[in-house]
Amino acid sequence: MRSALVIALVASVGLLLQSTVFHEFGLGAVVPDVLLVLCVYLGLNQQSVAGSFGAFLLGYLQDAASGSPAGLNACGMLVVFVIVYLTCRRLWVDNVVSKVVLVFLASLIKAAVVVVLLASLVSLSGEWSSISADLLKQATLSSAVAPAVFWLLAITGIPPHRESD
Amino acid sequence: MDFLRRHRVLVSAAVLLLMSLSLLSISVRSKPNRDPLAEFVLLVFSPLQGATEWVRRGLSNAWFGYVYLVGARAENEHLRERVSGLEADVVRLGELEQTNARLTDLLRFRPALPIEVRGARVVARDPQHWFRSLVIDLGRQDGLRPGLAVLAPKGAVGRVVEVGRAASRIMLLTDNDSGIAAIVQRSRAEGIVQGARDQGCRMNYLRRDVDVSVGDKVVTSGLDGIFPKGILIGEITEISLEHRDLLLSARVEPSVRLADLEEVMVVDPQPPGEVEEE
Repeated sequence: MRSALVIALVASVGLLLQSTVFHEFGLGAVVPDVLLVLCVYLGLNQQSVAGSFGAFLLGYLQDAASGSPAGLNACGMLVVFVIVYLTCRRLWVDNVVSKVVLVFLASLIKAAVVVVLLASLVSLSGEWSSISADLLKQATLSSAVAPAVFWLLAITGIPPHRESD
Repeated sequence: MDFLRRHRVLVSAAVLLLMSLSLLSISVRSKPNRDPLAEFVLLVFSPLQGATEWVRRGLSNAWFGYVYLVGARAENEHLRERVSGLEADVVRLGELEQTNARLTDLLRFRPALPIEVRGARVVARDPQHWFRSLVIDLGRQDGLRPGLAVLAPKGAVGRVVEVGRAASRIMLLTDNDSGIAAIVQRSRAEGIVQGARDQGCRMNYLRRDVDVSVGDKVVTSGLDGIFPKGILIGEITEISLEHRDLLLSARVEPSVRLADLEEVMVVDPQPPGEVEEE
């Protein structure tokens, strides 16, 4: 319960910053995706049904707070959660650098999912150059804020949860 | 059963993924009816976003207005505002001149439509870069409803797509889903200005034989019933042939710097009294 409250609080603050203050420091319309960092955290530390539900809620919250159709980011977040969950069962992801790299890759994966879904819903012709530039910027910015978010979650003392398979 | 228990994390993720896809399919098909969570998030977050934006703007003003450049910034801002006002006047007067020329032969003019304009403050921007939207501090309680046009002193901004109690979401004219009926001011060529994200907008469906050139101003035609006629949208920066060389498409640089917007105006062509009468 405490874990859920802490994550909900960090998600709310992250969303607030993403929609206001980060635009001051961002590169154009691109801002760091704090909710994605949280989703990676869930995949690494909350490997449970509650963790996957948390990833879904993070995406749905992002959909609700932006102009996107409901379910778009929820799909992206769930794919990221599953990939991080499967990755950290096979690879050692424990230090800051590996987590930052994981967030960078997760950002690209989520973007790829969103692009595929968007391309099947709306036309994106002629915009690939600007989109691909944005993807790299967002992945870089998200991985830049990742150490701070992981540190913040670490000091709250949320215990890791792994449901045995 | 044992398989489900052993892989319950993956199974739950797969079920939620299917749910998300279904949700996406429903929300795309019934786009005007946004889900209730979006309205709830707007209700809860807009006061917080407003407060955060207020603090951010205060700190930013303190830094730029007093610490960074005392006096010079204020003068610069004043001159910029004056230039943008004059630019808008030039376009408006050009539009008026052409309208006047067309109407000279007419004996009677229609009475002006009752248009209500409300000022609003931008309290938040889209938290991700896929879509182009803003949140403003006016909502249902201020008489706003989906479909109203949003303007800035330099031209068109977008339209209201989602209305909460005290806040609303604006879809910017650079959003992929945005479409505005427009005309080229000089030649009166008609087209639709559609959003193209970072590339600004594109004026599509221009007939191949129309007179269009780089530098032409594009204004609203008023045919969409959302934007009043003659509002500046932007300037043509590039022209290309589209649809197997049958139609022209022009890239339009919006006249309003959408990334820096702090205040906007919401235009209601049918104020509440008028709507009720209908």
